[in-house]
Amino acid sequence: MSKKSSQPSRKAAPQTQAAAPSKQRKSLLPVLPIFFVLTWIWAAWYYGSVFYISREYSFWVADLRMMDFVLSCPYGGVRYLGRAMLQLYKYPWLGGLLLAMMLTVGSWLTGYCMRLKASWRAVQYVPALLYMAIVTWHGLDIFFEARTGLIFGIPFVALDVLCLWALIIRSFSRKPAPAFIGIPKDETPRQNGLQLVVIVVATAAIIGFDMLQRPYVRVICRLLDMEYRQDWAGIQKLARANAMMSNRPMACSYAIALVQTGQIGERLYDIRLDYDSLHLHGMDWQHNNASSLYVPEGNYYGGFIEPSQHACMEQMVMTGPTIRLLKLSIKCALMREEWELAEKYLTVLRRVPFEGAFCKKYGAMVRHIDLVNSDKEMALIRLTEPIHDCFESQFQQPLFMGYNLVLVEGRSQQALINSLSVCLYTKLMPQFVERLEPLAGSTPPSIIMDGIMLAENKNPGISQHFSGLNFRQPQLQSFLHATQPYMKDRPGHAYELFPKYKGYYPYYYFFGNLKATKKGYTSLSSSNSGVN
Amino acid sequence: MRRHILYIVYCILFITIVGCQPKAELPSQFAESNTEAEIYPDYKDVVVPPNIAPLNFICRDSVATAYVAQLKGKSQQLLAAAAEDGVIRMDSTEWRNLLTTSKGGEISVDIYGKRPDGWVHFKPYKFSVAEEPIDAFISYRLIEPGYELYRQLGIYQRNLTTFDEKPIYENNREYNDGENHCINCHNYRMGSTESMLFHVRANHGGTIIVQDGKAHKVQLKDSTIITSGVYPSWHPTENLVAFSTNKTGQAFHVYYPEKLEVMDEKSDLLLYDVTKNEVSHIFRTADDMETFPCWSPDGRTLYYCTAKRNYLLDMSLPDSLVTQQLLMKFDSVRYNLMSIPFDPKTRSFGQPQMEVDAVSEGQSISVPRVSPDGRYILYTLGDYGQFHIWHKSSDLWVKDLQTGECYPLTEANSPDVDSFHSWSSNSRWFAFSSRRMDENYTRLFIAYFDKDGKAHKPFVIPQEDPEWNILLLKSYNVPELSRDAVSISMQDLHHCIYETEGENAVYKPNPTAIVNLDGTTGASPKKPVDGTSGASPKKP
Repeated sequence: MSKKSSQPSRKAAPQTQAAAPSKQRKSLLPVLPIFFVLTWIWAAWYYGSVFYISREYSFWVADLRMMDFVLSCPYGGVRYLGRAMLQLYKYPWLGGLLLAMMLTVGSWLTGYCMRLKASWRAVQYVPALLYMAIVTWHGLDIFFEARTGLIFGIPFVALDVLCLWALIIRSFSRKPAPAFIGIPKDETPRQNGLQLVVIVVATAAIIGFDMLQRPYVRVICRLLDMEYRQDWAGIQKLARANAMMSNRPMACSYAIALVQTGQIGERLYDIRLDYDSLHLHGMDWQHNNASSLYVPEGNYYGGFIEPSQHACMEQMVMTGPTIRLLKLSIKCALMREEWELAEKYLTVLRRVPFEGAFCKKYGAMVRHIDLVNSDKEMALIRLTEPIHDCFESQFQQPLFMGYNLVLVEGRSQQALINSLSVCLYTKLMPQFVERLEPLAGSTPPSIIMDGIMLAENKNPGISQHFSGLNFRQPQLQSFLHATQPYMKDRPGHAYELFPKYKGYYPYYYFFGNLKATKKGYTSLSSSNSGVN
Repeated sequence: MRRHILYIVYCILFITIVGCQPKAELPSQFAESNTEAEIYPDYKDVVVPPNIAPLNFICRDSVATAYVAQLKGKSQQLLAAAAEDGVIRMDSTEWRNLLTTSKGGEISVDIYGKRPDGWVHFKPYKFSVAEEPIDAFISYRLIEPGYELYRQLGIYQRNLTTFDEKPIYENNREYNDGENHCINCHNYRMGSTESMLFHVRANHGGTIIVQDGKAHKVQLKDSTIITSGVYPSWHPTENLVAFSTNKTGQAFHVYYPEKLEVMDEKSDLLLYDVTKNEVSHIFRTADDMETFPCWSPDGRTLYYCTAKRNYLLDMSLPDSLVTQQLLMKFDSVRYNLMSIPFDPKTRSFGQPQMEVDAVSEGQSISVPRVSPDGRYILYTLGDYGQFHIWHKSSDLWVKDLQTGECYPLTEANSPDVDSFHSWSSNSRWFAFSSRRMDENYTRLFIAYFDKDGKAHKPFVIPQEDPEWNILLLKSYNVPELSRDAVSISMQDLHHCIYETEGENAVYKPNPTAIVNLDGTTGASPKKPVDGTSGASPKKP
């Protein structure tokens, strides 16, 4: 009986064993498609803003003569093709799709070319993951160093090499490639799981590194994106959401948004202004203040059209034209009524893919000063243009701050508020007090009022010339009393006190931007060092 | 089989290329228009040399979808067509025949545009073909119109009879702190590239001198020399070069029609003996700023510009503030045109003479260039300063050295910058740079200068793609015409620049040099030595 009964079970055993792998295979997940989805999410939605800004800091047209500045560099052809592909990042989902496809196909081919067995298949994802890690590690440098062609250029070349290699292998060995969409037949659940763990953990680690070590990269890029789209409310919201993060590009974008919405005298100190160091290198591989990220725009929105044009030109010299510089140069040329110049830059920009909308909008303004002056953004900038000429070298840099510290004449109330705001930002109270007279009898913006309260100490009676200050006195006294214990070590307590006093100017005056306080300011300097 | 496939591919390519070419055929029916066609660049009513490359142009009409241009000379005609982009490209052989047979005559241009309601014939325009050719080559530096930073730049040579452009020298293409260098002030002896020089600044710095097809580097430095050699002029017969040596600064306007101001804080003139590698001063003066030397064709006179500066300065303030002081008075610094006799045999200089007293007229002169026939001196006149390439007031003027008369070249000038210029060796043409096209990027223009000393309407140098003058994001800088092409290779220049340190020139004082270091009296006389030479520019 036992023999009889045991025989069928022996016979059935292979069936059970065959069914088991089938069940196991059903529980396996298609790793390559998952990897594709993961990289697409990373490249389009997580890091898409960074690549989007990289495109703005790049330039590509089909005309080879115009691209000679790239083609004549080492590996110019690769850079050229890389820049071409980067253009798809006008729409991050599209650029991300291409990048994800390249990384996924590259991983698949890596596995095939290296003849990886199923147990080692996780290794095929290493080059793609390494690429993602290197891009993340570089942070802002991926566009700041003007080598934007390499973002796509390197994976493209790698993919080409792999394709060639695979073709050779296929020609000689006829070795079948593992499934691309489905699940490779030779994989066990353990091997499948290992691959999943590798790609998920590595992607998470890359994102974690970015969040912990380069948290400002995506924020700055999103701010720049919003700045180019004139989304002033979005900038304020994002900057305030990251108020503890502090860097100059973010501060400049935030200040521009406040100026454009008339809130510079109310909300400037809602974000921390101590400026942590950034992982950033110039073309000379020296640390700098990232000034090229914000000076052209800062000058433009500060009413300094000519210096903005100058800054654009200097950067174009160093990096070649970029979409961002061309656009700003077009706006500057329009404001200066340099119609032929505006038309020239528009002609160049029209050759860049996906820039039709910008060219249509601003192309309509050429030779129509009424359209220029009625543009909301430009009209506001007009109000803050200087009245008198002087030379940039007479002021501290950046000019949009240095100029406002020195000159006392402006063409509008907005110019006065900007100047007062710069004086308060730089803590130059004598200059601040000098400029207050036109506001006498009025209720100034809250930050200006707080500045007046602080100036009262050395200028007794000054607050009597303004209304609305009385109720602020107790607040100031309360602040001074509460922070008295921290005054001996202000740098040591600045960070911890910020959340409590966010937005309150006296906090900034005593605890904020202490490097600037220590350094001090002069009214005239030919130095190139930036105003902190 | 493979050959057949190749044939098919070639045929498809040929058909595609030929099929895409617009057909140059005059329309049989058309309406007459009472306006001229808008064309870019403006080649209407210009005078062109008989050896110039085809003047390709763009027709601009808001509704036309095709164009045909008919160029008619004395006995030849040329047809060219354009698609919707309006780009008229002419066949170079037909163009050459047309110009050759039209020497001394006119060519009329009839343009037809295909509008939705049929072809229209625009009013024709004309241009003239001179008898005299222009020097075949022009060299220039291509650089962005920004002067604080530099990156990729080079000196290039264009064959004006074709569209060929080749680099004479290009600096490092990719940023490299140890390699970055600027190149400037290329110059030839009397329109011949047999003797050539240019400067290298920053890394690998020095003056590169090319003679007999060989390049060598020299360092024109001495404790008595302000910086090193700057603006050069080859002596026409001796192996000498006159240089200015300038301490130059620049500042950028904040709110002004002109973008920047380039100023000298001080400058002197030097004489460099290429054969002996010796350098000496021609002028070493504290109060006067001498610059832009230029030899006369006989080599017996050196022309230059000079300005006084001390009267603009508060001498009680420290030297470190000189730049700031001058900057505050940037529009008060003005230069006269002077000359000084030179004896090539003894290498001695005489006394300076006033050539054009521009200062008394509230004007300022720069870049004097004597015509190769010695009759005229062409210079730039502006309201102030010496770097007229950034002054909208700058215009081209000539002084007739026979009559002493000074007058503007009205036909050649524009409301914008018209500055740096170079003569063709037959004195009938000059090339110059102008910002007239977009106020920012300099482009090269060529003007005919007739036997009566009158300039004619200039034209921008032709490009194979006429839109290139718009698309190019660099300025043409320091145009220098030459009869022949530069023969030294870029590799040889690269080797000279990168691999050699440069020989130090020996400083040897010239006993006839004008030295005045206390700055109390100027070396240049305030009044002309004789009545004819001290001409004043007449306002047009």
